[in-house]
Amino acid sequence: MKKHVITMLPGEGTGPEICEAVRRVIDRSGVDITWEYEEIGLDCLKEHGTLLPEKTIKSIAKNKIAIKGPTTTPVGTGHKSANVTLRKMFDLYANVRPAKLIPVLKRPWDKIDILSFRENTEDCYAAIEHMVSDEVAQCLKVITWPGSVRIAEFAFKWARANNRKKIQCVHKANIMKMTDGLFLEAFREVAKNYPDIVAEDIIVDNCSMQLVRNPGQFDCLVLPNLYGDILSDLCAGLVGGLGFAPGANIGDNCSIFEAVHGSAPKYAGMKKVNPSAVLLSGVMMLKWINEHEAATRIEKGVDKVLAEAKHLTYDAGGTASTDEYADAIIKAMETV
Amino acid sequence: MLTEATSRRAKRPVKPITLVGVDVYIITEDGIPVFDEYGAFKIEFVSNRGTKVWPGYVSPDLMMVNWYRCRFMAKGPVTDADVDVLLASLSKKWKWSAAQKLWNYGDEAGFSKAY
Repeated sequence: MKKHVITMLPGEGTGPEICEAVRRVIDRSGVDITWEYEEIGLDCLKEHGTLLPEKTIKSIAKNKIAIKGPTTTPVGTGHKSANVTLRKMFDLYANVRPAKLIPVLKRPWDKIDILSFRENTEDCYAAIEHMVSDEVAQCLKVITWPGSVRIAEFAFKWARANNRKKIQCVHKANIMKMTDGLFLEAFREVAKNYPDIVAEDIIVDNCSMQLVRNPGQFDCLVLPNLYGDILSDLCAGLVGGLGFAPGANIGDNCSIFEAVHGSAPKYAGMKKVNPSAVLLSGVMMLKWINEHEAATRIEKGVDKVLAEAKHLTYDAGGTASTDEYADAIIKAMETV
Repeated sequence: MLTEATSRRAKRPVKPITLVGVDVYIITEDGIPVFDEYGAFKIEFVSNRGTKVWPGYVSPDLMMVNWYRCRFMAKGPVTDADVDVLLASLSKKWKWSAAQKLWNYGDEAGFSKAY
């Protein structure tokens, strides 16, 4: 059995209790992982004076793989997001977010299976903002050719490897002709190398409307950072909310897997929050490190627990605690 | 000339405005720019695509483009004339695409930090 060393970042709020449940499930899936626990977020700001201690950075840089619980980002003022800092520091340019229907969560659609590839480092997230007069604020939207090419290439490669048939580039190039125009131009250039995959483009407002009206028509989306942030949450909402929405932040040499939901501090310590989003992020991580059997075992365990509907957390209509839900998955894994 | 609508626009409370620095956007193919001191200013950081690349740790995995934001902060009270001197000095060595003055509004910085 291959041995792995993976950095575990429990985060804050409900993060530690979620990550502990996730660790227990993954450890029972048939993989050999040594976990390096490291700190991140507002809690360690109080202790170390930084959201992201040097020791944490070194651990991620060494292991190249991390799984992360939720952290809190102050709104409007205060400290920068630890998530965005990590993505930028390790150039985790591809944010991959699957949205697939979960039968137990009754939704009004027959089929949703959407993969979003969000460019994760550019756009309005370049942190270039100025008050250019006392009544005018300006944010620079930074779109680059190499940044656009590499996310498009990543999406096409992933799509081909996973037998996906169509990718749509989401943009607003009819208005932002330079920035979104460059993103679309790069997408079209890359698409020429993948004639086996249908490449189309769609304007972001139309895409939003179509997602709500008929989400079954979509396959893969590749988006600049801001549209990707918003629409991937919309896709998560379509299939049942952020509690079941995993995510991967992938760079050329380092990857961090994380749920996209917040730290829910009001529930911290109550052990009632659904750990599925982090767990399914862990499944993505296992597949990324070629531990496909373990990943499939967990997926089947989750599917079984959700199908039986005896041990669901409150957001899925049940009363199970975080730990009871995790225990049920571990038990289910033994029989699948 | 002010339009009628401009006269009616919502107003923010007025705060004292202080010039405290300049962001200069430099284009170079030679990697992270290195600066000496430039008169009334000192270099605070250099960022690329919003990520700080000087000073401090830079991941070898970080992809950079040929466009760097270079933040020069005033060593003390400065005027627009000091900015002109800075830009003239930079122009001798660097190609730059834009410069943005940095102002404080009251006690608050009117500009973001780099990641």
